[in-house]
Amino acid sequence: MPQPVQYRGMSLIAHARAHRLVVRKCAACGLLRYPPTHACPWCMELRFTWQELSGRGTIYSYEIVHHAIQPGFKELTPYPVVLVELDEQRGRPTPDESLRIIANLLTPDLRPEAEEKVAIGTRVRVVFQDLADHMALPQFTLTDEPPQGRVWRLP
Amino acid sequence: MKNLRDKYCLVGVGETEYSRGSNRTTRALAVEAVRAAILDAGLTASDVDGMLDYQSGDSTLANHVAPDLGIRLNFYMDVMGGGSSTEALIGLAMGAIEAGMCNTLAIYRSMNGYSEFRIGGTGARAAQPVRGLDLAQVPFGMRSAGQNFAPTFLRHMYEYGTTSEQVAHVKVAHSKHASQNPKALLKDRVTVQDVVGSRWIVKPLHLLDCCLETDNATCLIVTTAERARDCRQRPVSIMGVAGRVSKPRLDFHWAHGPITRVAGYYAKDIVFGQAGIGPEDVDVTGSYDAFTFTTMLQLEEYGFCKKGEGGQYVSSGVIELGGRRPNNTAGGHLCEGYTHGMSMVIENVRQLRGTVDDYCPKAAEGVHTYDYAPGRCRQVKDAEIAMNLGWAMPPLGSALIMRR
Repeated sequence: MPQPVQYRGMSLIAHARAHRLVVRKCAACGLLRYPPTHACPWCMELRFTWQELSGRGTIYSYEIVHHAIQPGFKELTPYPVVLVELDEQRGRPTPDESLRIIANLLTPDLRPEAEEKVAIGTRVRVVFQDLADHMALPQFTLTDEPPQGRVWRLP
Repeated sequence: MKNLRDKYCLVGVGETEYSRGSNRTTRALAVEAVRAAILDAGLTASDVDGMLDYQSGDSTLANHVAPDLGIRLNFYMDVMGGGSSTEALIGLAMGAIEAGMCNTLAIYRSMNGYSEFRIGGTGARAAQPVRGLDLAQVPFGMRSAGQNFAPTFLRHMYEYGTTSEQVAHVKVAHSKHASQNPKALLKDRVTVQDVVGSRWIVKPLHLLDCCLETDNATCLIVTTAERARDCRQRPVSIMGVAGRVSKPRLDFHWAHGPITRVAGYYAKDIVFGQAGIGPEDVDVTGSYDAFTFTTMLQLEEYGFCKKGEGGQYVSSGVIELGGRRPNNTAGGHLCEGYTHGMSMVIENVRQLRGTVDDYCPKAAEGVHTYDYAPGRCRQVKDAEIAMNLGWAMPPLGSALIMRR
């Protein structure tokens, strides 16, 4: 398991350890951004606060890894990696922009979700995967909410 | 923007063998490739006074390569980067000459991409620490290029109905071209069924949708149009260049959609604007094929077909030898070997000279049969304008237009 270097940007991981999904919020224009970059990409403001999110979103795209590169993932194949569009700030500040986050789609007991259940348009919610005393990852799991838009998976 | 159309030329090209086990250092490979390009141009070491190269912590530096060949430099720069650096450095070479810093430059890329630093993320690269923005992807098992690009490819299938079978035609075409290329690592022609029947790497990519990690070095020589007239080869003029054009949010481009849009959306006006031509004027393309999908995405983004119709375009026969606008006629990264883009520019230079190194007995003299049966010819008849579409990743790319 990767051991992260500790610096301020790592607060995301620290927050995840407390089971909170947080992103940076610009102290000037108020827009949220992910990953926790060091200036606001819309107004260049440096100051920010951390904003907790609902952790609800929709699968925007995904992939199924059959050939793992990292040794620690080999026993998990095939595993889904999902690009989740979060509910907060959808289509803002321009229609093409949204808060999107990469994670794995997991079962409630934190195993890789079955491929036939992964689809664009499916609703998901955040879950937290504790990896070590200092580290947890925000992950996602399926909900029973109705899908958003057209549901599609690779034939 | 300033326009230097036709003021600079590519006058020399050279490469080492493409292999999966060079048993040599990147310095030894680079020296051989640079030497070959200088000789190809009909120049000597004292004619070259500039050097540019690119790498990602996996290669040798210009201040080792130049002195090995007895080259005294007035300018050099070692640049970090991978795919799409080739076209960008050709533009920088023109700028270095324009600024009066040097006269003639060698641009090289040398890599043991199979036996040492594997591009796919295994080997020496696997030991790199995970930090900064890597934390947003790598801890989730998303590390290799294929893993990084797959959500873009899948979303294209969702938005436009693109199929695995359609993009498999890119591999089919490039394998056809490689069968005419004595240098190619994979010379066997494959079918659509071979591609979609190969094992999954990361859906929607099959094994045969992915390029070949390769050991090799490659080199290009850039100089002014005036000096080009004294070189050995028919000069190839640079009509336009766009270097490392990016989408917004380059590092985590998922935030700025549509994610099926690639950097060519922003690069095309720069490069076509300089060249004063449009896609319909291009005879040969070199659309980077790290994966079958990347070739397709770039061709549609640069306007060779409508956005969203890339799947139909690449499966229509247009991109094959004998078609209207063949792509990667040496077999590309999918079949010839992976060079981070250099080989595709080298091939297009040879196409414009009329001297591609196929199996035609008098190929070096520009005599070709135009018989595209296996093991024969890969010269495009009367190719006048060629275009390279360099890819680093969905939000980053470069482009180059050349004419004979």
